[in-house]
Amino acid sequence: MKQFSKITSKHFLPFKAVMVVVPLLIVIGFTISGFKEKNGAGNKNTDDVTADSTTSAEAFLKVYKVLMSPRCMNCHPNGDRPLQGDDNHIHTMNVQRGKDGKGLYALKCSNCHQPENAEANHAPPGNPKWQLPAANMKMVFQGRSAHELALQIMDYNKNGHKNKAQLIEHARDTLVKAGWNMGEGRNPPPLEYKEFVSAWDTWINNGGYAPAKE
Amino acid sequence: MTHVSRRSFIKNVGGTGIALWIGMSSKGVFAKTGRNIIVKNFSPFILVESNGNITIFNIKPEMGQGTYQSVPALIAEEFEVGLDQVMVKLTNGEKEFGDGQSAGGSSSIRSNYKKFRELGASAKAVFLQAAANKWKVDINTCYAERGKVYHQPTKKSLGYAELVEAASSLELPKEPKLKDPKDFKIIGKPLPRADIPLKTNGAAEFGIDMKVPGMLYASIERCAVLGGTLKSFDATEALKVPGVKKVVKTERIMGLYKSVGVAVIANSYWSALQGRKKLKIEWDTNGFENFNSEEYDQHLRDMAKEDGIVDKNIGSVDTLNISPANTVDAFYETPMVAHNALEPMNCIAQVKGDAVEIWTSTQVPGRLIADGKGSFASIIGFAPEKLKMHNTFVGGGFGRRLYFDYIVETVNIAKQINAPVKLLWTREDTTEQGPFRPMTFSQLKAGFSDDGKLISFQHKVISPSLSEMSGRPNFDKTKVDGTMVEGIGEQAYEIPNLKTSYIRTDFHVPLAAWRSVTSSTLAFAHECFIDELAYKAKKDPMDFRLSLLTKDSDLRRVLLKLKDFSSWDKPLAQGKGRGVAQWEFFAGLAAHVVEVTYNADKTIKVDKVYVVIDLGKVVNPDTVKAQVEGAVVMALGAATKMPITIKDGKVQQHNFYNDQLLRITEMPEVEVMILTDGEKIKGVGEPGLPPFAPALANAIFAATGKRIRKMPFDLQIG
Amino acid sequence: MITLNINKKNYSIDADPNMPLLWAIRDLVGLTGIKYGCGVAQCGACVVHLDGEAVRSCVTKVKRAEGKKVVTIEGLSKNNDHPLQLAWSEVSVPQCGYCHSGQIMSAAVLLRENPNPTDEDIDDAMAGNICRCGTYQRIRKAIHVAAEMKGKGSDKG
Repeated sequence: MKQFSKITSKHFLPFKAVMVVVPLLIVIGFTISGFKEKNGAGNKNTDDVTADSTTSAEAFLKVYKVLMSPRCMNCHPNGDRPLQGDDNHIHTMNVQRGKDGKGLYALKCSNCHQPENAEANHAPPGNPKWQLPAANMKMVFQGRSAHELALQIMDYNKNGHKNKAQLIEHARDTLVKAGWNMGEGRNPPPLEYKEFVSAWDTWINNGGYAPAKE
Repeated sequence: MTHVSRRSFIKNVGGTGIALWIGMSSKGVFAKTGRNIIVKNFSPFILVESNGNITIFNIKPEMGQGTYQSVPALIAEEFEVGLDQVMVKLTNGEKEFGDGQSAGGSSSIRSNYKKFRELGASAKAVFLQAAANKWKVDINTCYAERGKVYHQPTKKSLGYAELVEAASSLELPKEPKLKDPKDFKIIGKPLPRADIPLKTNGAAEFGIDMKVPGMLYASIERCAVLGGTLKSFDATEALKVPGVKKVVKTERIMGLYKSVGVAVIANSYWSALQGRKKLKIEWDTNGFENFNSEEYDQHLRDMAKEDGIVDKNIGSVDTLNISPANTVDAFYETPMVAHNALEPMNCIAQVKGDAVEIWTSTQVPGRLIADGKGSFASIIGFAPEKLKMHNTFVGGGFGRRLYFDYIVETVNIAKQINAPVKLLWTREDTTEQGPFRPMTFSQLKAGFSDDGKLISFQHKVISPSLSEMSGRPNFDKTKVDGTMVEGIGEQAYEIPNLKTSYIRTDFHVPLAAWRSVTSSTLAFAHECFIDELAYKAKKDPMDFRLSLLTKDSDLRRVLLKLKDFSSWDKPLAQGKGRGVAQWEFFAGLAAHVVEVTYNADKTIKVDKVYVVIDLGKVVNPDTVKAQVEGAVVMALGAATKMPITIKDGKVQQHNFYNDQLLRITEMPEVEVMILTDGEKIKGVGEPGLPPFAPALANAIFAATGKRIRKMPFDLQIG
Repeated sequence: MITLNINKKNYSIDADPNMPLLWAIRDLVGLTGIKYGCGVAQCGACVVHLDGEAVRSCVTKVKRAEGKKVVTIEGLSKNNDHPLQLAWSEVSVPQCGYCHSGQIMSAAVLLRENPNPTDEDIDDAMAGNICRCGTYQRIRKAIHVAAEMKGKGSDKG
C-alpha cells in the first residue's frame, strides 16, 4: 500500500476523472456541502492538505482491510451473485441478488440465513437483516481500490443515500457487526470490531478523505 | 402407502371368501387356495380373492428405478389385468419370497422378464379354462381382458373374482402360451407409475419416515479416523442433556471394516444429537492417523510397475515385437466417491427376547433373511426365523443399501434397550464413514502394426479389492478379483492380442459397489485410451471404433445407431467438440456421444448428451429414459466434482458443501434412444453411467486438444 | 409448549425452542413429507413455506415459526392437485422421490412470484434443491408444464 503523505488534490480527483465526472459534480458538491453543514465530512476537492486529511485517509486504509475481507466483501460482489467462503468463491446454488437484494424465489437469503447463527457446523451464518445491497444501489466492494471505495462510500448517491450521521451509525448496524460473529470455521475480518469502528469514525470525522490512487 | 406385512396380510384375507394364490414353486408355477398358504418352496406372487381384489407381490424394492411398476407389469400383462386394477405390495424379506428380493446389478427385469410373464400367463390360462368349462365352450373362443374372461361369439363375460373357485381346482399349465409382443398393452408402453403421486404429496414412506409406538432415537459418534478403535468414553455430560436415556457401545460391520461407536439414545432425535456433542471419547487411531490418500495414490502409481495377476491373455501380447513409434502408453487415475443417497442411512429395530423386528429401507430385504455363515442373521446373532422385517421405499440406493452395516448397528443398540430404537446417520456420518467406491488406476499400453492396425492392447488395473473389502466369503488374494477388472477383457473390439491384469493393494477404508461398480472408473480409462489410439491412427474416433468391429455385434449395432442419432458426421461450430464412448459389462450396454462448448472464458459447457442403450426388451421406455438421464447426472458429478480424500486418517469431505452434487444449473440436455432389436435382454439402471465420463473427456479433447487422464477433472481448461 | 400453525391446523408441541423446525414437524407433529437430507441448508429436501417463503426447516429454529403460518408438502393442496403436483405426475419426475417434497415446495414459490418462468428463472429458483437421482431435466420440464396449466386457468396454486 502506498503512503499518502503527499496528498494533492489530484489524488482525490485526478484530472481525467474530473473530466469524466463533471456532470456528477453538482450532485457530489451538494453532498459534500450537506456533510459540511453537519461538521465537515466529504472528500473535498481542495488543495489544502491538512492533518485531518492524513489521519482520515490513514484510517480508511484500516477500514478498507475490513471491507475487503470475505466477511464484508462476500455480500458486496461486483456481480449479481453473492460470494462465499474465505476464498470469495461465487455462492453455490446460483443465488442471485434480486431487485431488493434479498434473493429470488425459493433462494431468498433468509430462507437459509436465519436471524441468528445455526448451531450445526458449516450451517449458514445468520442475521435478521441478511441481504445484499439492492440492485439499484449495488455498493460494490469487490475489485475496488481503497481510493475508489472511499469515494464510493462518501458519495451519497452510491452509498445507499447515507449522510454522515447515517454512515457513522452504519458501523454500528447489526449486519455489519455480524461480520465478527459468523460461526465456527469463518475467519473474522483482520481488525477487531472496536478497532474497525474507531477507524471508521476517525476516517469520517476527519473529513472522509480517500487514500491516494495507487 | 401401507406396508402390510405378509403374515398379517394373509391373516386379513377375508374369512368367508376364497383366495387363490398363484406363484412359483420349485416345480414351476403353482397355485394354492385358502387362508394358510405356507407351503415349502412356494412364492405366491398373485392373490385373487372372491371379493374382486387382485394383489401382485413385488419382490423388487423401489429405489427410483421404477420396479414398483415394471415388475408387476410383467405379471399383469400376461394375466390380462390393468395395473390400475391391482394392488401392488412390496415384499418384506419374507422367507417364501426368497433371495430374489433384492435390487442390484440392473437385474430386476433382465432376470425376471420371462419368469414373471409365464407366471401371469399360467394364471390367465386357468381363468380362461374355468370360464370355458362353465360356459361349456371351446377355450379358444374365450379371451381375457382387464380381469374378465369373455366368450368371443356371445360377448358374455365373467370376472376373475367370480371364477376364483373354479380356477382354483385346475392345474396350472407348466408352459403357458405367452402373448405376441404386438398385443402388449402394458409392456413397452410409457405408462404412469403408481408411486409417482405418492411422491408429490409426501405420502410415500421411506425408512426414515417409519414410526413405531414407544420408539426412541439414536445417533452414533464414530471414530473420525477410519480404522480407529474405541478406548473409553465418558457419558456423564451427555446423560445430563434433557431427553437422553442411555449411552451404549455399538459395533458396525461393513465387510472387513469393523468399528465400535458410541450411541446416544434419547426420546427425540434432536436430543440424541445434543447428547452426542457432549460425549467425551478416547479413540485409539492405531497408526491410521498417518494415512493420507494422496500418499496412497502415489503408492498405487508405484505399484503399477508390478506385473500383477493375469486376468485375460489372448494372443501373444508379451512376445509381440512392436516398434516404439507404434506404441502408445497412458496412465489413468480415478478417485473414491461417495454414494450420497439423499436419504441418509437409517433403521428401526426392536428386540424382544430372541426375536428382532426391523424397519428399514434396503436394496436387499432377501439377504436379511438368509441363513448360514456370514449371513445377516448370524452377524446379529438371531435365528433367521426370529427375524421380521419391514421394507419401505428407498430414498436412493446406488449400491450403498446393498450393505447392512447400519442395520447391524441398530440391532446392536436395540439389544441394549427395552424399546424400539431408530438410528439415523447424519449427512456428515454418511459422508465421513463410507463405504466408498474404490479408486482404480489403470496402466494402458497398445501397439499398432506397421500398416496401422491396432494389434495389441493391455489394461492393467491397480486398486484395492472391492470383493475383499466388502467381505466376500472365500476371497483369495492370489487370484484376480473379477470385479476389479470388470468388463475390460470383454469389450467387443476385435484386437488380436489382448492382456488384462490386476494388481491388488492393501487398504483399510470401507468400500462398496457404486452404481455400475468398477465400470464407472474402468470405462473412463479404457475408452479414453481408445480415443487416444484413434488420434494416433489419425482416424475419427467413431470410425476407429467401428473399424475394430467388423463382425456383427451388439456394440457395432449400437454405435452405428449412435452415429446416426447424434448426427456424428455433421460438423460442429468453432469452439465445440464431441466425444464418443461405450461400455459393455455385466449390467448391459450403452454408448454416449457428448457435445461440449469451449467458452471464451476457458470453461467447458456440456451441451448435449446422446445415449443409445441396448436393452433387447423394454418394459417402460419412459422409466428407461429417466434412469439414463439420472446416470448421466451421477457420472457428470463423479467426473467433475470433489472426490473423497483422506488426510491424517480422516475423510476431508463432510457434507454437500464440500462433497458437492450436480445441481439443476449444470444439467446437460440428455436424449435417449432405446434399442430393442437385440437378442439379449440387458439392464437399465447402471449402463447409462460408464460411457459418460470418457465421452466427456474425449469431447473436451476434441474441443481443446487437452487430454484428460485423471478423474475428477476441472471444467476450466487452460 | 410451543404452538405451531401447520397446514392451517394448530399443534401444541413440547419442544426446545432451538430445535430445528424440521425435527419438530417430522418427529413431534408427525408429518413426514419433508425430509432430512443434510441439516445445513445445502440440499433443500426440508423446504416448507413459512409465511409463504421457502425456508429450509433444518436450519430454522422452532421459535422462528411461532406465530407464523407453516405449510408443508402435505398442505400444498387438498387432493394432490396443485399444478406442480399434476405436472410432476404428467412428466414422471420423481425417481426415488426423496427430494421432491422440497423440490415442489421450492417451485411453488417460483410460480407464485413468476407465473411464466424462463429456464433462467428456473435456475435462479431451483439450484438450491439437490436431486441425487438426477431428475433435473424433468423438473425443468414439469415447471413449464405447471406454468402452462396455471395459465390455462386451473383454480389451484
